[in-house]
Amino acid sequence: MSKPNMPIILETQNLTHVFPDGTVAIKDINLQIRTGEFVIVAGANGSGKTVLLRHLNGLIRPTKGKVLLEGEPISKNITAARKQIGLIFQDSDSQIVGQTVAEDVAFGPENLRLPPEEVDRRVKTYLEVVGLSKLAQQSPHVLSGGEKRKLAVAGVLAMQPKIIMFDEPFTGLDYPGVVQVLRQLVSLHQSGHTIILVTHELEKVLAHADRLIIIYQGKIVEDGNPQEIIGRSEQYGVRMPLGKDEGVDAMTWLK
Amino acid sequence: MAQIVLFHYFPRNSILHDMDGRVKLICMILFSVVISLVQSIPSFIILTAGLILITLLAARLPFITLLKDMKYFSILILIILLVNSFVIPGRPIPGFPLPGVTIEGVMTGLMASWRLVLIIMVCAIMTGTTSLITLKNVVEWYLRPIPLVPETRIATMINLTFVFIPVIFDTVSEMLSAQKARCVEGRRNPLKRIMFIAFPLLVQTFRRTEELILAMEARCYSDDRTRAVFATTAKDWLILAFSVLFLAVILFYPF
Repeated sequence: MSKPNMPIILETQNLTHVFPDGTVAIKDINLQIRTGEFVIVAGANGSGKTVLLRHLNGLIRPTKGKVLLEGEPISKNITAARKQIGLIFQDSDSQIVGQTVAEDVAFGPENLRLPPEEVDRRVKTYLEVVGLSKLAQQSPHVLSGGEKRKLAVAGVLAMQPKIIMFDEPFTGLDYPGVVQVLRQLVSLHQSGHTIILVTHELEKVLAHADRLIIIYQGKIVEDGNPQEIIGRSEQYGVRMPLGKDEGVDAMTWLK
Repeated sequence: MAQIVLFHYFPRNSILHDMDGRVKLICMILFSVVISLVQSIPSFIILTAGLILITLLAARLPFITLLKDMKYFSILILIILLVNSFVIPGRPIPGFPLPGVTIEGVMTGLMASWRLVLIIMVCAIMTGTTSLITLKNVVEWYLRPIPLVPETRIATMINLTFVFIPVIFDTVSEMLSAQKARCVEGRRNPLKRIMFIAFPLLVQTFRRTEELILAMEARCYSDDRTRAVFATTAKDWLILAFSVLFLAVILFYPF
């Protein structure tokens, strides 16, 4: 399942973040993610998962260490890095900036100063990809939880990133919502995107992952094949999914 | 607030809906200026008839519904009428029981109220036929040549304000329900009850704002963005010419 022959696309070297009050959020994170990998980052609340994710997109600057995108530090050209590394936040409501669904998708391409025709083309294409074309002129406010998350995905896809990171994408979603988002995730991975997914709800998605990383108190404590690691997850505050006896392949909400 | 449709956008297929927003804004300003300058009753009648015709025929807006919403301005109109009636010096109204009310005062008050109603009508026609996105782009376009004015940022602020209003209303409604569930009605002090809403709302809004800033940064937001494209057609120039002619006649013809 892992992709040892693929080039490394994203790398962190001794990544450390200490908050002003002295709290160590993450410490000496050394991570290499290969092109096309589907990586799940799991950990208990406050373990440092979100902080790590925000470092990978350059939203927070590290106290020590660096993040490299295709061998280059992202700090060199942060806009170029963010174009390549899309981040979908946990709270969909907080990331909606458009008054209509289409306008929200256009936000990213407009920030990249693309010509208006190209912006329109991308809006149409990616609304189609996530299945929201019919709602293009609707206010994002009236969408369901699952649709809002799909809109967030379309907004990021419209920037055509190579890596897509999801922060707790299943939070607050009902069963159909989870299935919608999960389908999207799997299809993005199949279309060649590198996926980094932060979650502690492993039973919904682990079957699709190439690699599982567990963070505990700001450090990577497990990193490897989900099959080998899953048995030890509970000691780090991550509940072992039900259906373990059926193997990791059963750990999905997609049938 | 949510029930008011007076300044809402009505998606229709009409001459004014198709108009270039920039020309439409000029027409709106011209109408407002002339409304503020006219003095004679016939001019008011012609302007009123003109605006009713524009609302019904050129904009295809629901005139009666909009008219009903004028009730929200009734107190303001009454205050204008009363203040003028008492403050403007002149001849007293024969046989009127209240001392201090003058004929000139009532006339000035009536005209001022009429002016206000007409300006509200003009604004309603503008907002009813122009989507907020277009309105934002028009404002940005007009601010562009003014030095030291960050036009993109102002346009983004206008946009985000409209995005945030429904979210804030929803939050308040949810907080009210949550507090009702915990028997907040038992509290007699209205000030305390306001505080119970105001503080969490403020905290929530700031948290959301912070998240939104991060989400915008993650999607490469900068002031240097793709600009909206406008197209002025012969029809727009014709409407502008007709408006100028109509308003010039009203302003300069000795009715």
